[in-house]
Amino acid sequence: MSSLNASLATALSGLMADQGALETTSNNVANANTPGYSREVPVLVTSDPLVVGPLTFGTGVTLQSIESIRDPILESQIQQETQTQGQSDAQVSALQQAQVSFSNNSNDIGTAISNFFASLNQLSASPSDLSVRQGVLTAANNLATSFNQVSDNLTQQRTNLGLSVVQTVGQINQLTQQIAQLNGEISNLENVGQSAGTFIDQRTQLIDQLSSLVDVSVIQSDNSLTLTTASGTALVAGQQSFQLQTQLSSSGQQDVFAQGNDITSTIVSGQLGGLLQARDQQIPAIQNQLDTLAAGIANAVNNVQTNGYDLNGNPTGATDANGNPQNPVYLFNPPPASGTGAAASLSVAITDPSLIAASSDGTPGSNGNAEAMYALSSQAIIAGQSPTDYYSGIVANVGNMTSNATAEQNASNLVLQQLNDQRASVSGVSLDEEAANMIQYQQAYAASAQVITAVNDMMYAVINMTTLTG
Amino acid sequence: MRVNPNPLPDLLATLNLNQQQINTDLEEIASGQSVNEPSDNPAAAAMLVQNADQTSQVDQYLRSIGSVQGELQNADSTLSSVTTVLQRAISLGTEGANGTLNSADRQAIAAEVQGIQIQMVSLANLSYQGSFVFAGTATQTAPYVLDPTSASGVRYVGNSEVNNLTLGDHFSVQTNLPGSELFSSPGNDVFQALQDLITNLESGSTSGISTAVSEVSNAYNYINAQRVFYGNTINQLNSQQTYLQSDSTQLAQQQDTLGGADLASVIGNLENAQVSRQAALEAVANTLQTDLFNYLK
Repeated sequence: MSSLNASLATALSGLMADQGALETTSNNVANANTPGYSREVPVLVTSDPLVVGPLTFGTGVTLQSIESIRDPILESQIQQETQTQGQSDAQVSALQQAQVSFSNNSNDIGTAISNFFASLNQLSASPSDLSVRQGVLTAANNLATSFNQVSDNLTQQRTNLGLSVVQTVGQINQLTQQIAQLNGEISNLENVGQSAGTFIDQRTQLIDQLSSLVDVSVIQSDNSLTLTTASGTALVAGQQSFQLQTQLSSSGQQDVFAQGNDITSTIVSGQLGGLLQARDQQIPAIQNQLDTLAAGIANAVNNVQTNGYDLNGNPTGATDANGNPQNPVYLFNPPPASGTGAAASLSVAITDPSLIAASSDGTPGSNGNAEAMYALSSQAIIAGQSPTDYYSGIVANVGNMTSNATAEQNASNLVLQQLNDQRASVSGVSLDEEAANMIQYQQAYAASAQVITAVNDMMYAVINMTTLTG
Repeated sequence: MRVNPNPLPDLLATLNLNQQQINTDLEEIASGQSVNEPSDNPAAAAMLVQNADQTSQVDQYLRSIGSVQGELQNADSTLSSVTTVLQRAISLGTEGANGTLNSADRQAIAAEVQGIQIQMVSLANLSYQGSFVFAGTATQTAPYVLDPTSASGVRYVGNSEVNNLTLGDHFSVQTNLPGSELFSSPGNDVFQALQDLITNLESGSTSGISTAVSEVSNAYNYINAQRVFYGNTINQLNSQQTYLQSDSTQLAQQQDTLGGADLASVIGNLENAQVSRQAALEAVANTLQTDLFNYLK
């Protein structure tokens, strides 16, 4: 058998539930523009019924929990794509800086190569003219300088990328520390059965940030979360975070260490991965090609140079006019045998223009050797290509690397935009929806209040009735 | 179905892309180049490097042609003077062979031929911009010195080397003829012929004089034949010059095709980008911030 008091209690449960629901609406509206916020919905359930004899009475409504709406799969996709984006962002900015040295201008290596060989052709036309010979030395110096400058720029850029690596590792450490802390808060709340939605949102936001820096794998267990790099280096385990360190390695670059192990080569994604790839692979590849080109030109020119006679008729090779051994007269200081560093160290060995071996027979008017030197411009002296062809290959290579990274960046931006769209369609706060909910809760609240008024009237009737009889 | 309640980030991304397009177009218009960085078009950037190199080569070939042309023309006109001088020697010799002349007349003629011999040495020692043109490659010393102990009265101290000069892809020319081939060629030795003429004039042998005159006249024919070398080379250089100039024009055209901005289409693109930016801005301004809350009273 029911009672008026029971009805009052039931109506009251409605009031309280609607208040709670309105609270979530209000929180959603307040957080409509908070990055990473997932909308909350009140979970309303029917209270346990009361069974009296054959009758079952409902006892109202309970606000069981407040749930954040999110799609974990979508979120992990976003994190992965964020890694790609971070990587391509870092690469694009590094490569765009690198390719400036290869833009066609009056100081680029290509122009310097052309000018050097042009000066040799002029020498061939006027082999005994000192001012023409001086022109060859000047062009050779310009060639060496442009190699030096581009190589220095690239080396400087690698150093700067190393500084960015140190900064990025610092940011990673800060984020993993915060995530470990949040892990603690979340498991404390969840252990006592409370919803940790807000903290989870914050943590998701931090993991997104971390993903843009480094390749993160997220392993989620009941109420704890483990983060590792893609290759398995632990970053966060529950409430514990593991710091990464940077340290100068034997190669003179800042390498990344985790618990004493060098993990530099295992980081392939995120901003850190992009920085490391640009620093350790892409820019060194360009430098290698430049070294090959510089060493190829220097060696080929020296070979011809030491096969002739200077303006005074002295042989420039390893034996002097009397057949005694002598130091060969090189045009370029011989590059390192391995070729490594050839572009950075390329320099002209002579300052006396009369030492250029234009003559092939010892007479000052002979141009045979100058012709042979000029002929190098069209000979396959560098990896089966002429100097200019090889250089144009480097330019194409740098351009391709940059445009590929840019294309990847654009694609990744688009994918990320779509994924974020999808996440917003699941988790974003819709003000229309919140307004509709608000009306709904407001009306339900008003209705419950009406029920209480009705019960109140009925109570009043009962009490007055008693007074009358009494 | 629930849709993304906040389209603002998408709209901003679109605006961003628009802005990027506008920036690229403006850069192209400002520079007149569609390839400003290698990544703009890597293949074209590589071809532009080769184009620039070829252009520099062509320019250099033209400069080199300019520097040898002067020398060749000088050599050619000197040889023309040589033939004039030899003609004079021939007429003097013919006059000297005349039996009515007395010894004193012949001595006078011999002295004049002696003068021609000295003039010939000076012509053969032609120097152009500090280099002796007919010395082979030993260009720093005068190739002919007067030497009374020599049968021909002169000594050749040059060499018989020649220079070849590359003046185009697969095009090179010989740029000199050594004196040993021109004036001292065995059988057509100019100095020997003149010396023989002098000797016979002095001794008064009319038959010797006639033989010497025909020697000089052989040498004259030989020098004339050798002038063809210079004429041919100068012609070759002229036609190579014309070819290189048209090559240079073609390279400039190719460079423009590869890397020049197509202004008409760039400006079209720019207008499109501006229109769509305008539209996106208006859309952002007009459609946002209207929701159910606005209608609740």
